Amino acid sequence: MIARLRRINPLTAVAAAVLLVAMTYVVPPPVGPLVAVTLSFMLAAMTGAGRRVAVLAAAVAVPTWGFLVVMNALVAPEGETVRVAGVAFAPGALVPAAWISLRLGAAVAALGWVVMTTPPQRLVRALAQRGLPAWSQYLLAASLAAVPEARRRAGEVLDAQRCRGLAAGGGPLARLRATLPLAGPLMVSLVTDAERRAIALDARAFDARGERTSLAEVADPNEERMLRMVMWGASVALVLWGFVR
Amino acid sequence: MSTIALALIPRAVALNLAIGAIVAALKLPVYLDSIGTVLVAALAGPLAGVITGVTSNLVLGMLSSPIFIAFIPVTAVIGVTAGIASRVGAFRSVPRALVAGVVIGLLAGATSVPIVLALFGGVTAGGTGIVTIVLRALDLPLASAALIASVSVDVIDKMLSCAIVAAVLARLPRRIGARFGLPHPAA
Repeated sequence: MIARLRRINPLTAVAAAVLLVAMTYVVPPPVGPLVAVTLSFMLAAMTGAGRRVAVLAAAVAVPTWGFLVVMNALVAPEGETVRVAGVAFAPGALVPAAWISLRLGAAVAALGWVVMTTPPQRLVRALAQRGLPAWSQYLLAASLAAVPEARRRAGEVLDAQRCRGLAAGGGPLARLRATLPLAGPLMVSLVTDAERRAIALDARAFDARGERTSLAEVADPNEERMLRMVMWGASVALVLWGFVR
Repeated sequence: MSTIALALIPRAVALNLAIGAIVAALKLPVYLDSIGTVLVAALAGPLAGVITGVTSNLVLGMLSSPIFIAFIPVTAVIGVTAGIASRVGAFRSVPRALVAGVVIGLLAGATSVPIVLALFGGVTAGGTGIVTIVLRALDLPLASAALIASVSVDVIDKMLSCAIVAAVLARLPRRIGARFGLPHPAA
């Protein structure tokens, strides 16, 4: 079961995550978000990502709860208030803040499980097998590949301009003035690089129509296709129920 | 869409994600995380701008946190507005670009408010959230506080992004501008 879950088609994982997100926001709290977050953590733990998914969900849910409590219980207290160390505090704001944060955490955990356990390139290949146009495949795959290169280049530009005496300190205006010497070369180099890439794409007949072959196929058994249909159907039914109830 | 626009979009997406290193080094009170979207929209039009914005948040969702996926409508609005602004010549000079930045910031901020209200209860954990809390302390209704906080942060951010893009376009080699169908972006 666990080995099978680790090899799951990325589209099946996405369908499961969407169903869990729908459950989180349509089924009233605490049942909906609690069931969704529990299932998400179970899936994540079985695929070896339990801790990372928990950290990711907590990183969104906990600060949001803190900000909501400060705003709705302390700064602009709603409902009945009690005095705590001389400060008016609305305990009634704690529970709604908890439900909002729990929903956020559950949604992040559901989608985070997919993000943490699915290599993006595998997801793009699975989408390509289901008919994603070549230009969309290129955009997603090339964007994912370009991020480390752009970060490296940003670091190089920073180092180079510092060597030439650029001061990154001072007041806000001085720092604003330093933005163009840093961002400018990075942006110009990315645009000129795009021209080189475009020539390479044209040379490889990127515009050619017709089916393309993939060197690495992502397995998509019939039972997973059936499961996906059921999960997409359940997601749509949940959303419709949310509108009519 | 031209092949060069298609080749530029992944680099612009990466720029949106990588610019954070420069913003952090300068300790700027802005994000500039739509600067690549504005650049593509200015060079290749509204459709390319929308695609860049949507792809940026999808990639951020995959690499960082899925919460960015919820803000895809905001980046789409930035892309389409910057593209339309470019069509009316807003990036031909820095002052014009600043005006475009105000419009883009207003629309982006207004678009993000329903998302923040629905998903976050009106406050996000960060600089915008602190502004919202301060405005709530001044007795403003939640929706108004969230709108003012979001718009004020976005207007400053997009004004700076647009000004930088206009300055960069003026420095681009003419040959590159011509490949995007522009005689010269700064002309």
